[in-house]
Amino acid sequence: MEQFKLFIDGEFVDAADGRTFETIDPGTGLPFATVARAGKADAEAAIAAARRAFDKGDWSGLDIAARIAILQDFADHISQQGVRMVMTECMDAGQIVGYARIIVMWASLLLRNLATYAATKFPFEEEIMASGNAFSPGREFVRREPVGVCVGIVPWNFPTALAMWKIAPALIMGNTIVVKPASNTPLTAVILAEAAKAAGIPKGVFNVIPGPGGELGKTLCTHPDVDKIAFTGSTEVGREIMRMASDTVKKVTLELGGKSANIILDDADMDLAVEGACFGTFLHQGQICESGTRILVPSKIYDEFVDRMKKRAEALRIGYQLDPTAHMGPVVSKEQLATVEHYVQLGQEEGAEIITGGKRVEVEGREGGYYYAPTIFTNVNNKMRIAQEEIFGPVACVIKYDSDEEAIAIANDSIYGLAGGVFSTNIARAERVARAVRTGTMWINNYHVFAEYCPFGGYKQSGVGRELGSWGLAEYTQIKRIHVPYFSDRNTNSGFTLLSDNKKIEGFNYNCPTNVVVGHGSLSSIYKLVVDQGCRRALILTDPGVRKAGLADLVKNSLVDFCVGIYDDIPQDPDLESVDGATAVARELRADCIVSVGGGSVIDAAKVVCVTLKSGGRANDYINRWYALSEPQTPHIVVPTTAGTGSEVTSAAVITNKTAGRKLFLADPRITPNAAILDPRFTVTLPKEITVATAMDAMTHAVEASMSIMSNQICDGQALHAIRLISENLPLVVADGRNEKVRLNMQIAATMAGWAFTVAQTGLAHCMAHTVGTLYHVPHGAACGIVLPKVMRFNVDHATAKLAQVAQALGVDTRGMTERDAALAAADAIEALMEKVGHPMRLRDVGVPQEALGACSLHAIADSNVLFNARPVGDPMDVYNLFAQAY
Amino acid sequence: MSLVTLDPGAAQAVKSLLLEGRARGPIRIELQFTGCCDPSLGLIVDTVRESDLVEEVDGVTFVISPETRELSGEVKISCADDKERNAFLLTSSKPISEWDGLITCSLRM
Repeated sequence: MEQFKLFIDGEFVDAADGRTFETIDPGTGLPFATVARAGKADAEAAIAAARRAFDKGDWSGLDIAARIAILQDFADHISQQGVRMVMTECMDAGQIVGYARIIVMWASLLLRNLATYAATKFPFEEEIMASGNAFSPGREFVRREPVGVCVGIVPWNFPTALAMWKIAPALIMGNTIVVKPASNTPLTAVILAEAAKAAGIPKGVFNVIPGPGGELGKTLCTHPDVDKIAFTGSTEVGREIMRMASDTVKKVTLELGGKSANIILDDADMDLAVEGACFGTFLHQGQICESGTRILVPSKIYDEFVDRMKKRAEALRIGYQLDPTAHMGPVVSKEQLATVEHYVQLGQEEGAEIITGGKRVEVEGREGGYYYAPTIFTNVNNKMRIAQEEIFGPVACVIKYDSDEEAIAIANDSIYGLAGGVFSTNIARAERVARAVRTGTMWINNYHVFAEYCPFGGYKQSGVGRELGSWGLAEYTQIKRIHVPYFSDRNTNSGFTLLSDNKKIEGFNYNCPTNVVVGHGSLSSIYKLVVDQGCRRALILTDPGVRKAGLADLVKNSLVDFCVGIYDDIPQDPDLESVDGATAVARELRADCIVSVGGGSVIDAAKVVCVTLKSGGRANDYINRWYALSEPQTPHIVVPTTAGTGSEVTSAAVITNKTAGRKLFLADPRITPNAAILDPRFTVTLPKEITVATAMDAMTHAVEASMSIMSNQICDGQALHAIRLISENLPLVVADGRNEKVRLNMQIAATMAGWAFTVAQTGLAHCMAHTVGTLYHVPHGAACGIVLPKVMRFNVDHATAKLAQVAQALGVDTRGMTERDAALAAADAIEALMEKVGHPMRLRDVGVPQEALGACSLHAIADSNVLFNARPVGDPMDVYNLFAQAY
Repeated sequence: MSLVTLDPGAAQAVKSLLLEGRARGPIRIELQFTGCCDPSLGLIVDTVRESDLVEEVDGVTFVISPETRELSGEVKISCADDKERNAFLLTSSKPISEWDGLITCSLRM
């Protein structure tokens, strides 16, 4: 008899205690080889070798291309051993020769194919383009790194293929591995070790230790140097492995038992379904974990189906596995044979009826073999043990049903969820059934089809994780995220400020990419701006007022034939539904560009439409998300009709969620408009009240950006000039709204304030304005203006110098004043300007009830903009007092 | 050679479970499938069949078919470490499975 040894640390060795065992040919019941029997000492030696090899880095540290080259050699050496492998597989596992030939060939093929896939397509390194963290930008990426020392525990039904399911991904991804083959079928794993050695896989990377699972399992599953266990076998053993592995929290993948349903629908092709049912159950004597041993057949074709299945089963030839004419060979062992008989007896006792089989078979000249006839039970109830427990033998249970829903319910009535089949001539119907069955694999009009790029694994108690494909490769990796910030500076790290009294952020990232075209007649530029974006189908979004004023048509005419329509149903304070309505129209018209013509409401709605149009879904899928977009959105050109919002250059949109009762944000550089056209003709007709209110919105942007903990010198310059422009031009606009020159100055001021705050952010005044806007519909600009001076005084000791500069920009002569007095004078100057232009001065004037101030303070302090306020805001009473002052 | 031996504690655990389940026994030692990990021995409350081998141990009646007895030899029943699960460890003088000593089972009613 041929003798096989252990393979540890690159050498073929005897067991430490010298023990061996015989392996039996199940077709004859006779031993045909002896194998070294590994014990605890050998398992520890193999683990130590694998650990050394991994830590040394000869394999794990190899460039993927170099590793794959060696594995391709490994695959070639397996192929060279092909005939020997096939013969050994047959004699060890009882596989018929025709099947073993395919399985062994596949083992080398899957190694080669998965290796090539990994080298060319597997994402070993992935960039995270949008991290979702607005406070700490930087490069974020993920590396896939090997897990370490893996243990592969292989069952006896497919000793070569299932060993390779573990060896291939482990080695491809840079791990080392200790393989424990089943004691019934230990040989081909050792032959694989010969091929590995011949291919030059470094010592210790690949180890094979045949031996009893009960003795080796504990060492392999509890050893602290083992990082991962991959097991194929029974749910009972898998449960113990998981339990043992939990002590040292090893990664575990388990491919476990099944009791899969093969569902025959009433419109199935009968010939195909009968063949599929027999193939699904009797292939390899039913010793396959995903076998479709529960065959669900509808009442109306039940009798015919059962009759034809019986005839087909009785036509199967049982013979010695190396006989090329045999369809079925022996089961793997005498214990397996006895257990099949036990369950057949149980089925009869439970009331099921055997229509064929149910007995041992003698094969001439092979009298000692473990052969069993293909057996079909009818009258099976799904609650019977034969329908619930895994019978790893050629035993089919045919179960009657009356509707697709009942078939699905029966299929799902199992602790297992490994696989299943559906047979039907209507693929849509079959797929509906397949989707409803809770298993890891469903075959339609087929069964037992595997492929190296397709995942395999189970739901429920059929397992954890997946083998094969990219999913299987990923199971042999650890995920490492690496973060490299924009700034390596403690004073620019917003997280570090949590442990500091100095909240000011020093460094900044100024990203304001909007192309701004300014001046009388600048609308003409839109024809070229659309082309610059590669677009031809612009949809104009606007509101009814702007449409009525003729401004949208003015834009339409400038777009000539690039305009596919005007959508004028954007309301003030747009909500999610209005955005979705605009998106539906944009989709219907196949718009490739959005032109927004209006104030902040229209522009903000358009920003979100650009996202839903490009990225799919509904507005609510994107709202209240920061920095979550990873690619450019639908191009957006803005023609503002107010001078206040600054939204034409900012990276934020405010949308009302009526259900939540809040204004919510989408903040992302990807929604910054591509172009903005500041043409004063679009603001000259703006009524005085709106002119004043929107101007105070811009003023608040500028003053709060200046005070913000995120303020910086670029934004300061823009903010201060915006303040100066508003201070000087707002009274003139109020006096003469048709004056295009001052209107344009106001537009420029609003845009500059927008640039300032989109980087530096706003503060508490905006939180308060958002609150009264949401709860009492106070126009945003008016609310900003009313609360701004109060917030400036609240911040005076935390932004003294900035406010003193604001005072100067407002035209206050600060000579002779202390810096603090100058800062306070800024607030006074704002109020004086408001009075001068007729701006409302108190919240009571704009409909906010006094009794609401408490609730308003709690609402406002929860607004995210408080994070950027110069003075930390932690006490709702502080906010209440400010509301009271403004009341 | 006896059919069954029980570790201290196992008999009491079995009796408690029978009491909880209002079952009288006997308890069959049977072959249970565990897929591609070989069959294993399990416990189930059952009735006596004509051909069964019967033995009473510590006040509990066990039965086993002659075929199973032939494969397993003497069976030893002990409590698994995890008492919460009412799990038992069944080992046999002629191991049925290579995972003998590792797999636990519960008493099925």
